[in-house]
Amino acid sequence: MLLVKDSMTREVVMLAPQATAGEALALCREKRIRHLPVLEEGRLAGIVSDRDLRAATPALGDPDRAEALGKILVSEVMAREVATARPDDPIEEAANAMRERKVGCLPVVEGEALVGIVTSSDVMEALIYLMGAHEPGNRLEVVMPDRPGTLAGVAGIFGELGINIVSVVAGPRHPLPDSMESGRVAVFRVDTMDLRSTVDILERAGYAVLWPPGP
Amino acid sequence: MSGRAAVVHDLALEAYGFGGDHPFNPLRIRMMLELCEALGLLEDYAFVVSEPATDEDLTAVHSLTYVRLVQEAGRGGGDFLDLMHYGLGTGDNPIFPDMHDACARVVGAVLEACRMAMRGDAAHAMCVSGGLHHAMRSRASGFCVYNDAGVAIARLKEEHPGIRVAYLDTDAHHGDGVQWMFYDDPDVLTVSIHESGRYLFPGTGGVEERGRDGGVGYSVNVPLEPFTDDGSFISCFDAVVPEVLRAFEPDLILSQNGCDAHALDPLTHLSATMRLYEHIPRRVHDLAHELCDGRWVATGGGGYDIWRVVPRAWAALWAAVSDQELPEIVPDDWLALRSAQSPVELPRLMRDDPTDYPPVDRAAEMASRNRRTTEQVLEKVLPLIH
Repeated sequence: MLLVKDSMTREVVMLAPQATAGEALALCREKRIRHLPVLEEGRLAGIVSDRDLRAATPALGDPDRAEALGKILVSEVMAREVATARPDDPIEEAANAMRERKVGCLPVVEGEALVGIVTSSDVMEALIYLMGAHEPGNRLEVVMPDRPGTLAGVAGIFGELGINIVSVVAGPRHPLPDSMESGRVAVFRVDTMDLRSTVDILERAGYAVLWPPGP
Repeated sequence: MSGRAAVVHDLALEAYGFGGDHPFNPLRIRMMLELCEALGLLEDYAFVVSEPATDEDLTAVHSLTYVRLVQEAGRGGGDFLDLMHYGLGTGDNPIFPDMHDACARVVGAVLEACRMAMRGDAAHAMCVSGGLHHAMRSRASGFCVYNDAGVAIARLKEEHPGIRVAYLDTDAHHGDGVQWMFYDDPDVLTVSIHESGRYLFPGTGGVEERGRDGGVGYSVNVPLEPFTDDGSFISCFDAVVPEVLRAFEPDLILSQNGCDAHALDPLTHLSATMRLYEHIPRRVHDLAHELCDGRWVATGGGGYDIWRVVPRAWAALWAAVSDQELPEIVPDDWLALRSAQSPVELPRLMRDDPTDYPPVDRAAEMASRNRRTTEQVLEKVLPLIH
């Protein structure tokens, strides 16, 4: 479920290269979006953002603005080098591409066809689902020794207590408190109101509970 | 309006509990009523006995599939995977015999309390078994199987077209179930003041959860810092609740009076005392008279120090609902009745001594963060309520 095709918007608002800057800005306002892919003969020819359009046109209040908005064409403003994603790319790859290229969205192409668009808001939504933040749960951050079987150890403790795991994100290195051993941190969301014995048992088993924090 | 208050209760409601050493223990209801009686707060108040909620009542907010599964589970049936899918049979929500019946009775009691207030049979009504605010449309959650407030509000909306209900939740946990049931409904204002979801189940209830579509502005959330004390909780309550309720102009106030924000509560990290549990219902009482001819229904909710906190907190709730003075001393009779059984020493005074609850470190910092949260609510949510 964490692929680009699961998070992308399928109904893409797009433009022809001959559209004017004024038309493009009006479209951004009306649809409340910031990026417009530009299509020429069914193929992705470029992309233009509301920021590019504003930068290329006289400022609000400038007497030349109205004329310029009607004269400047999208093809003159758009970026022709477009970073794209494919529907089956993992969402984290798309996120990394956006971060590397410093862009807020990626048109999604399958062969020649534009099939969707994925934006940084879509990545944020995927993060919410990944962390289970839309489902009831209690957030727990645990540092585990960095060796095989320790994540299973934490999960086993939840299992024995009859506590279901809503989500788990594990990985980043984190020092294991009071130990020479290196550790990794995991963020769990667990479906329980009562964490009293859980935290105790985890700590006695050699894990460090970073969250919820103490007083 | 008769001016009298009513208690909706009967012994059958005390069957709602999960047994064993589960933290949700109906003994707290028994002890609270015994304490009220010993304090003389129940003289001349006969308990109002109600009918269980019907399937039709329950399906006003719950799916029929879920209701059928709860019925089956209570008879020992149900497929394991199905039960898990609907949140039943977990550590938090274990299955217990006749659980449908027990929970339908709780819902029926709260529904009857609301109908009494609407008919004018009672000025205010209380049902401390209610307050199961985490139950979802098709899922048991956080010790809650059916959502009594959700059902009651949905039924009132059918019976009184155009009615506006203000649901006010001061449990330490976010009132998520009720909020999601009416998230897009501008005729139901849900207000929840709770420990921030960063640190506590169910994890939701940020200021930015304000409602959806036509209901934007009609979900109000005030997440508080852990270790928030009476002073800060009360100032947040007083800053937000009267304002949003006045802007909304409800026809009925339904309050969820969980008392698990108390410093002694084992499941949360807030630091309130009995001062908060006297303040809240007195304030709500005044607001009910100011805004909706007194129509106010109070329910219970969370509260897991069942010996030292719940009986006193809900005795204070009943004192406010019935407009009686709260006595100072915990009666010897009640202490004699319950001391031997209690694993902790029972308090001798109805109010907490502030010296027993010294301010926590960083209390000032938390209070100022809470103040900023209330400012955000007043700036960003209040103006949307009409």
